[in-house]
Amino acid sequence: MLEKIGELGETAVRTIEEATDLETLRELRLRYLGKKGQLTALLRRMGELAPDRRPAAGKRANALRKRLEELLGRKEAALQDAFAGSAREKERIDVTLPGAPFNLGRKHPLTLVLEEITAIFTGLGFQVARGPEIESDYYNFEALNLPPDHPARDMHDSFYFTPQILLRTHTSPVQVRVMEKQAPRLPVRIIAPGKVYRRDDDATHSPMFHQVEGLAVDRGVTFADLKGTLLVFAREMFDQGQRIRLRPSFFPFTEPSAEVDIACIICGGKGCRVCGQSGWLEILGCGMVHPRVLEISGYDPEDVTGFAFGMGVERIAMLKYGIDDLRLLFSNNLRFLRQFR
Amino acid sequence: MRIAYNWLKEYIELELPAEELADRLTLAGIEVEAVERPAAAPAKVVVGEIITLEEHPQNRRLLVATVNAGGGAHRQVVCGARNIAAGKKVPLALPGAVLPGRGLLEALEIEGVLSEGMLCSGEELGLEIGSPEGVLLLDPAALPGAALGEALELDDRILILDLTPNRADCLGLLGAAYEVAALTGAAVKHPPAVPRESSRDAAALLRVNVQEPALCSRYTARVIEDITVGESPLWLQLRLLKSGMRPINNVVDITNYVMWEYGQPLHAFDFNLTRGGEIIVRRGRPGEVLVTLDGNERALAEEVLVIADTAGAVALGGVMGGESTEINPSTRAVLLEAALFDPVSTRRTAGRYNIPSEASKRFERGVNPDWVAEASGRAALLFSELAGGKVLRGLLDSNPAPSRPRRVSVRPHRINEVLGVEIPRDEVRTILKRLGFSTGEEGRRLAVTIPLRRNDISLEEDLIEEVARLYGYDKIPATLPRGELLESREELPERLQGLSRETLIACGFNEIITYSFISPRALRTLQLPEEDRRLQAISLHNRLSEEQSIMRTTLLPGLLKTMQDNFYHREMDQLLFEIGAVYLPRRLPLAELPREKVRLSLGATGQLPSPNWHTASQPAGFFVVKGAVEALLRRLGIAEAEYVPVERPFLHPARGAAVVIAGEEAGFLGELRPQVAEIWDYPQPAAVAELDLELLLEKARPVPHVAPLPRFPAGLRDIAVVAPRSLSAAEAQRSIYEAGGGLVEKVLLFDLYEGAQIPGDGRSLAFTVTYRHPDRTLTESEISAAHSRIEEALAKLGAVLRR
Repeated sequence: MLEKIGELGETAVRTIEEATDLETLRELRLRYLGKKGQLTALLRRMGELAPDRRPAAGKRANALRKRLEELLGRKEAALQDAFAGSAREKERIDVTLPGAPFNLGRKHPLTLVLEEITAIFTGLGFQVARGPEIESDYYNFEALNLPPDHPARDMHDSFYFTPQILLRTHTSPVQVRVMEKQAPRLPVRIIAPGKVYRRDDDATHSPMFHQVEGLAVDRGVTFADLKGTLLVFAREMFDQGQRIRLRPSFFPFTEPSAEVDIACIICGGKGCRVCGQSGWLEILGCGMVHPRVLEISGYDPEDVTGFAFGMGVERIAMLKYGIDDLRLLFSNNLRFLRQFR
Repeated sequence: MRIAYNWLKEYIELELPAEELADRLTLAGIEVEAVERPAAAPAKVVVGEIITLEEHPQNRRLLVATVNAGGGAHRQVVCGARNIAAGKKVPLALPGAVLPGRGLLEALEIEGVLSEGMLCSGEELGLEIGSPEGVLLLDPAALPGAALGEALELDDRILILDLTPNRADCLGLLGAAYEVAALTGAAVKHPPAVPRESSRDAAALLRVNVQEPALCSRYTARVIEDITVGESPLWLQLRLLKSGMRPINNVVDITNYVMWEYGQPLHAFDFNLTRGGEIIVRRGRPGEVLVTLDGNERALAEEVLVIADTAGAVALGGVMGGESTEINPSTRAVLLEAALFDPVSTRRTAGRYNIPSEASKRFERGVNPDWVAEASGRAALLFSELAGGKVLRGLLDSNPAPSRPRRVSVRPHRINEVLGVEIPRDEVRTILKRLGFSTGEEGRRLAVTIPLRRNDISLEEDLIEEVARLYGYDKIPATLPRGELLESREELPERLQGLSRETLIACGFNEIITYSFISPRALRTLQLPEEDRRLQAISLHNRLSEEQSIMRTTLLPGLLKTMQDNFYHREMDQLLFEIGAVYLPRRLPLAELPREKVRLSLGATGQLPSPNWHTASQPAGFFVVKGAVEALLRRLGIAEAEYVPVERPFLHPARGAAVVIAGEEAGFLGELRPQVAEIWDYPQPAAVAELDLELLLEKARPVPHVAPLPRFPAGLRDIAVVAPRSLSAAEAQRSIYEAGGGLVEKVLLFDLYEGAQIPGDGRSLAFTVTYRHPDRTLTESEISAAHSRIEEALAKLGAVLRR
């Protein structure tokens, strides 16, 4: 009996190993392990043995059964897993072929930067406000402490429609419009993104460009708060290790005023062509809201203070994306636009 | 403002090198844009002293000079200039020197005489000094053999200040010196400014009569006689050149020189050419004319302040002198004006005639009243020293209301509150003192007296800035605002705008940003009829060009231009969109702010981008634009859109549709009319759309209301009909829904055929109709019955079943 089991085992293992398709394997399983299979038949005949020999034979037969099960399972998995031989080649696809084209369009780089700036400041609790691009002289200048015939108006070469109506030269008029509407409620925390216009058209000036204005008015707002807010902005916009520098400057609607530089993102502050060897890049102007502006807009400058800033979006886009020609931003050249993602 | 470092050193001790000084000034708010070197002198050019001078033996037009080139070496040089003499110091270019535009200099024989170098004019050295005809005559004290650059102080540095309009005080070296003093603590030294006066009284010759004290708060005049007009000494010319001014003659140069020192503009008249012995400061008269120094005839008016003599105007006050009294080579007596003109009036006059000048720039921003007389004295002293002048006794001075220093009080605790710092009161006082401001205690306040040179300081905030900038902005900490939280997410319309952008990008469209101003010609290409509102565009009064002269009333011209530009760059396949405002006047001429409406434009031409082995190319025309519009409406949750055929002058007459949302027209889409495409030089058809984005956002329902999932199976049936072309797909679809009697869940047009197999002018439409009942499974007979009703309904519309 033991011999028979041994013989059956050898044959079974050999034939299973040699099987090359699933069909053969199925037949072999039936042949050996099926209800009418050879090993099953042997087990049935176990009763014919003397009782003392039964356990050894039974153990042997069961071991073989287990072994064949295992072998069949493994072999089946191998045959199922991959198409063997020519079948596999028939099924093969060239995985290096390009995929089906899904062509996403692109946002304009200025939109990308505007969205990023907006996200940073809304994250800091600033609301988004908007104002008209065609403005009155009052909001664009007078209410910002820039009376007629003030030399500081030279900083803004304006496009006029009538003596009193012009294209806004900055987003600052939105400051006044927002405060007028909200006074005397506190706090005011807004940014105002949008298009602005100046009569300048050369390699470094576009007659239309974009700014984002910022304004925070409340009791106890300080210059240090302004500095901290802009530091967060610079770090979020450029790099977590970004350094900034504030330099005293002049704007009629802020006092004290400052220009803000970031450490040159090209050379890291060592000095290069982009930063004119200075190691710093000017990115925005800011300051504490001038008391006259607060007053004109309906707040008591003894009671509240505020800070304001204004940044050029083109400048930031150029720095961020390494664009060396401002005019590309308004070329709408598809080869330029397609480079953004 | 250009500041020559070595010149500045005359007024203040400077230990900082120029570059460091520049950094300090910049960080204190006086921005130094650049530190330049003056033009360099060529190498191998030294100071030579002419020892002897003889005529050239062969050529009487040439001279032969023996020149001491330093270190005892004497060289023989042939020279053609006539302005030299023994003992003069001149630039000597040695063999090996490379002169601009001349190349390498070598020793050579000139008509038989060896010339071991060349005596140079300023021009030959590449410097704009001296006369081009003669050799440049150097300072008699120059050391023979010294490098020319050294002798001319060309190792100097020029600080180029980019001054903000409030800091008029730094438009003069002395004012700048006070700023430096505040930074370094060094003392400011004024130059000598007291002339020796002759016994003759100026008042005997001249009277000053200011009729407009409101526009000219002070007018001083001096008379200087026995002037010899000529070239200024070299050092003075060099200083002017480094400061960006062109030397003219000693009289004019001195007025400019002193203006650079004090920031006080001066004007010199030829006294003998003024008439009547009286200077009258008055308004211009209608019809009056003045020829200014630049040779232009200026029609005067009442708004213009003029300086006049008894016969008429001789200068535009504070802006420009007149030609009739201009300093000339035969001028013998000078009338020197030092005055204070009103900032606004000066600005208007300079603007009226478009002649901004160094003088008007200073008056506009404010000149220091304290230094008027001093600057006049300084110039008079220089006239006597450098032009042989005799200064008549007395300063004629009209000064009816002398300016007094301003007092401003500041609360030290307020400084800390505004800045977010802790600066002790004593430090505040120290900082103010360094600025030259005197302080007195006034309870919790400090009473600060502001010198007149700082006319920019009038409020407490101004003093807070002064303290902050000298304390150092870098020492102010960085904190974040505290306070009440706000709901800060963008408002819904703006968010939906962003959503629209995302959707169009997902459809493959690229965003463009075009100028808000367009050309009238571009607008006219739309062929709009005269009464069309879009022709009512607002014009820019001071346009830069015709191309950018009117505010857009439609986004189309910008889109069409962008497509054209891209065609020119051989981009044949374009999918473009823009979101931006159009500007619609309430009425013209403009009297109030116009309405600004946000629009969306779309453009498509060529093929959908990148067909490849997997996906064949598809034309990017009308249906691609429509598909994008449909995707956008779907994204915004707008279901009720209809597309109604329309004719528009710029659209193909048979390929245009109005987009109607719940009865309101939201815009149009269509193929560009071929004639319009031709005007724009398009090589192929294009489709465009323009939609009122504000209306879309108003109709948007971006949050879906979810329906329960179907619990019973659907039955699908196809139906194909041949219909006349006049039956629109939308109509056919609508009749299928109606005839289906509520059982039709969805109708899909899956095939459209128009061709030879279809008789007449018909076309074949094939739909898949999905039937479903929400509460039970439909039976075959129910579906068949509905389907028959649909067939009948279509037949009534002339659509014959196709089998």
